[in-house]
Amino acid sequence: MAGVEPDTIFISNVNLSLGTGPARVHILKDISLRVASGEAIGLIGPSGSGKSTLLMVMAGLERPDSGEVVVNGTPFNALDEDALARFRGRQVGIVFQSFHLIPTMTALENVAVPLELAGIADAQERAKAELEGVGLADRLHHYPAQLSGGEQQRVAVARALAPNPAILVADEPTGNLDEDTGKQIVDLLFAGHEKHGATLVLVTHDASLAQRCGRVLRLRSGHVVDEA
Amino acid sequence: MNATEHASNSTSRWLPLRFALREMRGGLRGFYVFIMCIALGSMAIAGVGSLAASLADGLAREGQVILGGDLSFTLVQREAKPDERAFLQAHGKISSMATMRAMARTANGEATLVELKAVDNAYPLFGEVTLAPAQSLDDALALRSGVYGAVADETLLARLALKPGAHVSVGNATLEIRAAITGEPDKLSIGIGFGPRLMISEGALRATGLIQPGSLVRWRYRVRLPASADDDAAAKAVTEQAQVQLPQAGWDIRNRRNASPQLERNVDRFTQFLTIVGLTALLVGGVGVGNAVKSHLDRRRETIATMKALGASGVRVFAIYLTQVIVLALIGGAIGAVLGAALPYAVSWTFGAIIPLPLIPALHISEMALAILYGLLTALAFALWPLGRAHDVPVGALFCDVVAGQPSWPRRIYIALTTVAVLALGTLAVLLAYDRRVAVIYVGVAAAVFVLLRLVGSLLMWIARHAPRARATGLRMAVANIHRPGALTPTIVLSLGLGIALLVTVIEIDGNLRLQFFNELPAKAPSFYFLDIPASEAKPFDDFVRAQAPSAKLEEVPMLRGRIVSANGIRAEYLKPKEEAAWVLQSDRGITYSGTVPEGSRVVEGKWWGPDYQGPPLVSFEKKIADGLGLKLGDPVTVNVLGRDITVKIANLRALDWQNLGINFVMVFSPHAFDGAPHTHLATLTYPDGGTPAQEAAIIRAVARQYPMVTTVRVKDALDAIGVIIQNLVLAIRGASALTLLVAALVLGGALAAGHRHRVYDAVILKTLGATRARLLGAYSIEYLLLGTATALFGVLSGSLAGWLIVTELMHLRFSWQPLPALAASAAAVLVTIALGLAGTFKALGQKPAPVLRNL
Repeated sequence: MAGVEPDTIFISNVNLSLGTGPARVHILKDISLRVASGEAIGLIGPSGSGKSTLLMVMAGLERPDSGEVVVNGTPFNALDEDALARFRGRQVGIVFQSFHLIPTMTALENVAVPLELAGIADAQERAKAELEGVGLADRLHHYPAQLSGGEQQRVAVARALAPNPAILVADEPTGNLDEDTGKQIVDLLFAGHEKHGATLVLVTHDASLAQRCGRVLRLRSGHVVDEA
Repeated sequence: MNATEHASNSTSRWLPLRFALREMRGGLRGFYVFIMCIALGSMAIAGVGSLAASLADGLAREGQVILGGDLSFTLVQREAKPDERAFLQAHGKISSMATMRAMARTANGEATLVELKAVDNAYPLFGEVTLAPAQSLDDALALRSGVYGAVADETLLARLALKPGAHVSVGNATLEIRAAITGEPDKLSIGIGFGPRLMISEGALRATGLIQPGSLVRWRYRVRLPASADDDAAAKAVTEQAQVQLPQAGWDIRNRRNASPQLERNVDRFTQFLTIVGLTALLVGGVGVGNAVKSHLDRRRETIATMKALGASGVRVFAIYLTQVIVLALIGGAIGAVLGAALPYAVSWTFGAIIPLPLIPALHISEMALAILYGLLTALAFALWPLGRAHDVPVGALFCDVVAGQPSWPRRIYIALTTVAVLALGTLAVLLAYDRRVAVIYVGVAAAVFVLLRLVGSLLMWIARHAPRARATGLRMAVANIHRPGALTPTIVLSLGLGIALLVTVIEIDGNLRLQFFNELPAKAPSFYFLDIPASEAKPFDDFVRAQAPSAKLEEVPMLRGRIVSANGIRAEYLKPKEEAAWVLQSDRGITYSGTVPEGSRVVEGKWWGPDYQGPPLVSFEKKIADGLGLKLGDPVTVNVLGRDITVKIANLRALDWQNLGINFVMVFSPHAFDGAPHTHLATLTYPDGGTPAQEAAIIRAVARQYPMVTTVRVKDALDAIGVIIQNLVLAIRGASALTLLVAALVLGGALAAGHRHRVYDAVILKTLGATRARLLGAYSIEYLLLGTATALFGVLSGSLAGWLIVTELMHLRFSWQPLPALAASAAAVLVTIALGLAGTFKALGQKPAPVLRNL
């Protein structure tokens, strides 16, 4: 682990298989990777190449079968399920393709959730500020079902940025959106990345979008095959 | 109409059924709670109905045996006069029998109360008395070497440690026990006794010397009509002739169709009670049906939207899912009906040998059909509302997850249909009830409870929405979960609230019955009743008892038996008394006369006649009974006493406390009302601090030795005899309620399971955002605890109210609130809710978020 300190993300020889029996698929194959603090990287590759799974490993949502994952100086191997959850709440912001907002909570409540879970006193005020930052000042008390897809994803971005995370991961955040709306979301993500100085990891099919990141990794069949 | 159009119409007619069945091809997953709820409720209704019908069949078929004849004429305190006997003999073969309470004494001084039955040689006209060791009844009761024979219940032999061959004394006679009774055909028609049976011959009864003027003896004359005229019409004709030819006889006439009206009434009443419990199970189950339909339609939102996009109208969508509900309700109802129909067979096989009821198990198709109908109506009453909402699922649901776009109320037509189903259910329950007043009250209360619980749910959500924000995240999440759209609050409040309310009602009834019949006797309750004290012996008897128990209080009053023949000019059989007063007309009652207001009662209307009253005979009535019979001051009442009708005016009304177990009479007459009529005295003996078993045993022995004619009834023994009945009643209440509670738990579990999918989603997202398992668990626990506690408070309140109503208004007992058991049971119910709720989410909490997220 020597020399990993400057990196926000350090991944070494990670292997991960999913499924059981004959359906078991080796998704990540001996992947090693370093991402420096404040860097923005794009993960691209065909469907099933393992890019979303790699993202989940980085976010502590998936445990590798072997190898080492260290994020912001914290080795994931040493953390149990709950410690990982706490870590995510403070250090990782996640944006999903399908938004994954809690349908029974208003936009404001959705954004405040990670802050409240982290025990931040002014969670509501900060959540409100984040929502205003993504242009949803007039949608604070709307439930997800009352918002358009673009608005829901903006809530998700605000939620990801609200705890001021060390890393911001986004899994095809524009996949369910039209081009214009998708662009607005990406702009918001990059703005947040720059404003908060967070390390950004972006999974996308869109090569031009990936190009907005300083660094692009191409995955194929569980291997990093190219880096630009 | 051409052939193509016709084919198209017939295809479209069956389309909803075809679509419904197609949707159910994948199995009934998601509908198990629905089916079980309807099945359990229908089972209860079919079971109770089939059991009652089997019992009614048994009572009808065994009517002659139970009654002991085609007709039975009962006289109190007197034998039939020659003209009366001649009348009976003219109509068939007769058998006479006398029953009374007496004391049986052994040589070593032990004494116990027995229900004495003296029979003639013709007894029994129907059925057979079986004895152990086997022998003929005539032989067993015959006079041998100057000693009459007797046969007795096993319990008497065990109580006095007697074996066949042993001697007991009754009155002045010594009897030889020759056998134990193993079968007594007419036992049911004679009613519950306070002691075991001792059967002797009529000759033996006369030898005991117990038949004194005014003795409490009942003479029954059973008539077996000739084979040529033994149908119901013939029995009715004889009854009518008896009333016309011998109007003064004052006898109680019964025929084989009403061999045991008291038993039939009790069976009817109990059937109604159990049907109400079954209906409650169905209604609680209806909540489960509503939940199941709602979550089914939620899951089918996309399917519905797709069907609409492809051309299905809202009505057609409604028809498809309505068909599913009907099919499922019929499946549930049929399962329940079959299980319920098996109940009489199960009871007969398992308890047939020990229950003294003529149960004839049979398949009662009408009861099964009724149960299925109840199940169907319940399903419709609860499903039509959510089904109606399916009408308006927008096609836009395919494009976005619109929640706000759909109104929560269905169209008017569906509200109207729901109302029709609810009214049909209520009307059916009332129309088929034994006591419609009780049924109407039940339907009203049930409706009120549903509305109230719905309001409580809304109120809780309102309070949660407006509560100040809690600082603790867990508490805040919990409070927010209570009021969010799609929150489980209304369903949990409804199912848990109904469950707790029912539990508390049962606990309050149970506790009050126990308190009043088992735990404590009233402080001033007497220890003994002494019956049949000859009027001439009253004074020496008083002196004797006072000498035996100097610290105890002895009260003594004259007593006769009288039967109300008419009141206010209307014959008793045509009077329409209120339920609480009906018993007064059912047979003869104890009556007394007094110059002073009897102890323990006070005049509330009219004036007391005073000790020196010499005018025409008057009567004082108990106020509630008078009200129940529709009588007021000045009304004439005719009472038959010893075969003579006496008409008196009501001079005053008294209030009295029946539960102090002291000497209480509905009717107290003025002093000279029965001048010259032979009668006995009744006395009570009350120890200041309640008697010890040793004191009581000594009194029983001493009185039996000195006054063999006097019957001593130990109050504790009498209460024990009633206690056995109460115990069975309590058991039946508990058993029937357990079924309803099971349904409530099922509905609660179903409601929680329906929310499971959302819970797992929330849990995974929250974990992704940093929530630990403990925190989620804590938040859910607080949510269920808050909901459970608030609902439990309502449950305790409404259950206690229901318990109070039933105990005071239906059972006419004093109510004493049992807060601790009610609160303990509610706390247990809340804990079960938390456990059920957490059990659903616990597994999800342990899961890694990634696999779940991947599948979302």
